[in-house]
Amino acid sequence: MNFKEALESGKFTVTAEVGPPKGTDITEMLHHIDLLKGKIDAANVTDNQSAVMRINSLSVCKIAMDKGLEPILQMTCRDRNRIGLQSDLLGASILGVHNVLCMTGDHTSAGDHKEAKTVYDIESVQLLNVVNNLNSGKDMMGNELKGPTSFYQGAVVTPEANPVEPQLMKFEKKVNAGANFFQTQAIYDIDKFKGFMDFARKFDVKVLAGFVVLKSAGMANFLNKFVPGITVPQELIDELKEAGKEKALDAGMNICARQIKQLKDEKICDGVHIMAIGMEDKVPEIMERAGLL
Amino acid sequence: MIITKKKDPNNILETVKKYDKFFLIGCSECASLCGTGNEEALQEMTDFLESNGKKVTGQLVPKTGCQTLGTKIELKKDKEACADADAVIVMSCGAGTQSATEIFKDKPVYPSNDSLFLGNMTRFQMFDERCSLCGECVIGKTAGICPLTNCPKGLLVGPCGGMSDGKCEVSPDVPCAWVRIYERQKSLDNLDEMKEVLEPKDWSAGQKPGNLSTRSEKKEEKK
Repeated sequence: MNFKEALESGKFTVTAEVGPPKGTDITEMLHHIDLLKGKIDAANVTDNQSAVMRINSLSVCKIAMDKGLEPILQMTCRDRNRIGLQSDLLGASILGVHNVLCMTGDHTSAGDHKEAKTVYDIESVQLLNVVNNLNSGKDMMGNELKGPTSFYQGAVVTPEANPVEPQLMKFEKKVNAGANFFQTQAIYDIDKFKGFMDFARKFDVKVLAGFVVLKSAGMANFLNKFVPGITVPQELIDELKEAGKEKALDAGMNICARQIKQLKDEKICDGVHIMAIGMEDKVPEIMERAGLL
Repeated sequence: MIITKKKDPNNILETVKKYDKFFLIGCSECASLCGTGNEEALQEMTDFLESNGKKVTGQLVPKTGCQTLGTKIELKKDKEACADADAVIVMSCGAGTQSATEIFKDKPVYPSNDSLFLGNMTRFQMFDERCSLCGECVIGKTAGICPLTNCPKGLLVGPCGGMSDGKCEVSPDVPCAWVRIYERQKSLDNLDEMKEVLEPKDWSAGQKPGNLSTRSEKKEEKK
């Protein structure tokens, strides 16, 4: 069962991330792919994440696929204009990459090439529309394609944005533009997330809740202070503190597993997206603790 | 107006090092309001050049430096000073500088300012960018606030995931353009306008170099 079939069948679906490295030594990345394959349903391959220049997403998608891990091509609008985006989507299609996550993309000011010209010729909602067009055999100008694509397209949402209303309006625009699934920004407060799901359930889309594994109380405070749309509740920070420095990561994994289990048991959403950020090797263990393996 | 900022004078000196005598041109419009091309700025440049062994043969603050014909006429009274100069330093915007390039066919022309943006003066000598001159105005659909300019990503369909407590991820002191649009539409009871997904921007509308003639046909006939 592939990713689309899994989600559409109602199976509690798990995705994680593969981060292409900066440079041509991909030994570690290949190791992560081996660890994840057969355990998760699909892996997002990030697109120059945080605007830091790395190997492109599509090449790594192809490698992951060849190794037996189904990829989700992340596509941001930061670095390519509409010609480049469509051309890469056609390229992905002929390589057999059929899941695409349409995003606007972090601004260049966040990355390691701050002097670069940002593109943003189109943005996430418009990119979803473009994917629809390609799927129906036309480019965004209406020109006929010699063979359509067959993408299963998704998008992202930040359930805890403040104010949340403009974000929810954009969510709805993404749904109308054909997003089949959503992966959310990291969530840590299940009750608040339930509130978001009450809204999201009005639409015929699948939602995978985002998780960033907490390694320490310091990391939690950092996320609260510097990462937009993430709020780690104080009780979780206290739990990490109580665990002590050496056991903090273990406690963070427990928190993650416990919350994933709750989402699954209470059927709150359709799956989870685990962003391990350098700790891909912990993903299978978190899944085990959550009762998913 | 066009917002300009003075270049580092030492960099200007390095750029013009092979010349000795200069004619200075300012502008009484935008560059004067920015303090980069008024009489005072020209005097400051004269003092700087002279203290570095250069000579200023003359100077002019034309009414509108980017009005090529008018500036050319104004310069007639400085014919000798202009002829005596090795090069011209223009202390207005990139447009004013290129008017001088057109006027001075036989002399090199150098800018003393960096041209930054089309700006609104919010207080005396404080400027903010509100319009990008994109060629096809969309603010009729975005509560009179240009997302193309006020959002660093120029997003036309709503806020990105980087918005935090109503602020922009790129400049945390700056309010998110889309939160401003949302709040204004809400206060105007116009939120339905925000539900529309704007089409991808037609960038060909702002293709460089822009040109426009609004001369009436009658005028053309007379000519």
